[in-house]
Amino acid sequence: MEITRFQIILIMGFMALALRALPQLFFAGQQFPEAWDRWLRYVSYGLIASIISVTLFVSGSQVEISAAPRRGLALLMAVIIARVTGSAVTGMLVGALLTLVFGWFSL
Amino acid sequence: MMSLLARFRQGMQAAIPIWIAFVPSSIAWGIAAQRHGLSLNEAILMSAWVYSGPAQFAVLGPLAENESALQVLVAGFLMNLRFLPMSTALTPFFRGVKRMPLVISSHVISASSFIVPYVQFQKERASAESASISTSPDNGHRNLMFFLGVGITSFIVWVTGTGTGFGIALGFPHRFDEALQFILPGYFAGLLVVEMKGWPMLLVCLGSLIAAVPGAVVSSGWGWLVTAIAVASWVWGVEQWKLRASKSF
Repeated sequence: MEITRFQIILIMGFMALALRALPQLFFAGQQFPEAWDRWLRYVSYGLIASIISVTLFVSGSQVEISAAPRRGLALLMAVIIARVTGSAVTGMLVGALLTLVFGWFSL
Repeated sequence: MMSLLARFRQGMQAAIPIWIAFVPSSIAWGIAAQRHGLSLNEAILMSAWVYSGPAQFAVLGPLAENESALQVLVAGFLMNLRFLPMSTALTPFFRGVKRMPLVISSHVISASSFIVPYVQFQKERASAESASISTSPDNGHRNLMFFLGVGITSFIVWVTGTGTGFGIALGFPHRFDEALQFILPGYFAGLLVVEMKGWPMLLVCLGSLIAAVPGAVVSSGWGWLVTAIAVASWVWGVEQWKLRASKSF
């Protein structure tokens, strides 16, 4: 049976609600083990970094070799700006602007 | 003693920095969702019902490309697993509140709406302990009102920003497509480096960033998921081993 995008979002929402609500129902007064907490955080970071990589450098199962240098450079600048300013949004805006400029000059 | 309504207002005031942070991020999400081909209803539903920026961004690509539902759900689930420890950490502060209001309120738990109340409750508990004041059983309700003041208003800002971003994206000509596509990875990268602390996080991020490319080439659907979990687990394992080794000396 084909699941529509709308249904996927609904299921995803139920899963998120379950993760938020279950501790309120069953873990009252308990502490989450620190090591598990760290593993969950690392998995989140890993997934985010993977998404960055796949979105910028891969299309289907092909590496986008021609676009990779300019996108990589824009990403690097976005990262530096975000780190220096402490603002993810500022880094993103600078990176997006650079992508636009590099695209116009076909870098 | 502060009334429940005043406590809610106090939460609202504490949430102002979150609103400021949520405005650009939710607009960015709205723009990204529109550019990836989601409808306005889908984008709003995701913001209101899933209400998890990182998970929304994480599944946007696979969702838009009609990848397998299981892949989208696994990615979303893994991203949202962090709600378990957040929600657990808040439970001691809501003592005395009935289960149903807690279940409904828990929908507005996000990373930001968790941190602000949690820090506030910790501070209040510490000052009550130092003044040797015993906590009243009503504290759970007052804490819940503070949490809702933060959570509900931040939620409204997030959902409204999504609609606004979606509308903004409709007005952009297609020559801006590549720049708009950069919003998602650019924002993620910014979030990571702003939060970056210590070698394990750096290793996880760099390792996953590099390993995801061959992973996606081998399997476009699952490769990046598997490599991310593998790299994160490996770094975590090394850190655990080092911690144990340092304790045994």
